[in-house]
Amino acid sequence: MNKENLELNVAIFFCQQLDPDQDSNRRVIEKELGPGIKFFPLPCSGRIEPLHFLHAFESGADLVYLITCPVKSCRYQQGNVRAGKRIAFAQNLIREIGLDPERLILINIDPPLPKRIDLLTRELLEGAPVKGHSLLSRL
Amino acid sequence: MITAERKPLDEIIAMILPFKKVLVVGCASCVGECAAGGEKEVGLLGSALRMDARMTTKELETREMTLERQCVYEFIDRLTGLIDQYDAVLSLACGAGVQAVAEVFPNIPILPALNTSFLGQTKEAGLWLENCRGCGDCRLHLFADICPVTRCAKQIFNGPCGGSQDGKCEVNPETPCAWHLIVTRLEDRNQLDLLEEVYAPADWSKKEGAGPRKIVREDQQN
Ligand code: SF4
Ligand code: SF4
Repeated sequence: MNKENLELNVAIFFCQQLDPDQDSNRRVIEKELGPGIKFFPLPCSGRIEPLHFLHAFESGADLVYLITCPVKSCRYQQGNVRAGKRIAFAQNLIREIGLDPERLILINIDPPLPKRIDLLTRELLEGAPVKGHSLLSRL
Repeated sequence: MITAERKPLDEIIAMILPFKKVLVVGCASCVGECAAGGEKEVGLLGSALRMDARMTTKELETREMTLERQCVYEFIDRLTGLIDQYDAVLSLACGAGVQAVAEVFPNIPILPALNTSFLGQTKEAGLWLENCRGCGDCRLHLFADICPVTRCAKQIFNGPCGGSQDGKCEVNPETPCAWHLIVTRLEDRNQLDLLEEVYAPADWSKKEGAGPRKIVREDQQN
């Protein structure tokens, strides 16, 4: 796994419909990567609010992900579409304060479901845009 | 309700620059409904301002709270005992709310975080439409409850103007022609005879001829 990414503080919001065993699976990688990684399971990605992202950055996250079900497979129909709009709103707001909006990343995963959240996370961190620590987490 | 939108963040940042302790106060009524000044927006703005201050090494302490209404004394009173611990209040209310708070606490700057826009309705989630200008002489009953003063770009009382196409306004083709709506609804209600009348122009003296307006209701007074 990319070494630089391992040192970053990463917050991962995800729809728990993705992985029925998310509770145990995420603990595997939490144990491996320590307190730098934080998971926030959501009953549906549509429940996300821009404030969640802002608070994650304010608490020192360098990268914030929102992982949603594949397009058109939201259990609640529009949840992941709504999530995409909220991401865009939050990106504009953090851009206004000079924080790189690309630190907030939307992942619509590809079918099929389920996926293991620990494996998904590994993949994400492997391919993460290396952005280093944000100014906020360095302060 | 009264609608509003947040000012650009750089304007707000410049406004609070002289102050170190800022109380960020929302209003859960009109501007809460139009997602400009409710509890969520207070949280977002507070968080964004704190992050900006940290990144630009400015000293800033904030506290967030949301009043049910910022234009009514009983609710404003919740700030008593708290407000004097702050250098300024950043208010996410309409202009009426900002001024009402400033009147109760005249020695503390109350800074407007929103630009107040119009009287409108929530048409659907995330869409607000202007539909009343508060003219002071409501004549909706004559126009099938569609306000020509607000919703017709030419504000005409004796329409249609003849320029609408496919039910859209010729001035702004994205907007429905108010007169198309009026005629269609009058027809549905069997009230087309209301259009036989020639209506006098609006009497704007009732709105703004004599400075700010007031409403006095003795039955409501203490
Ligand atoms: S201050 Fe009063 S009028 Fe203004 S938004 Fe709040 S409730 Fe509405
Ligand atoms: S006629 Fe006047 S009061 Fe009535 S809706 Fe139109 S602007 Fe508002």
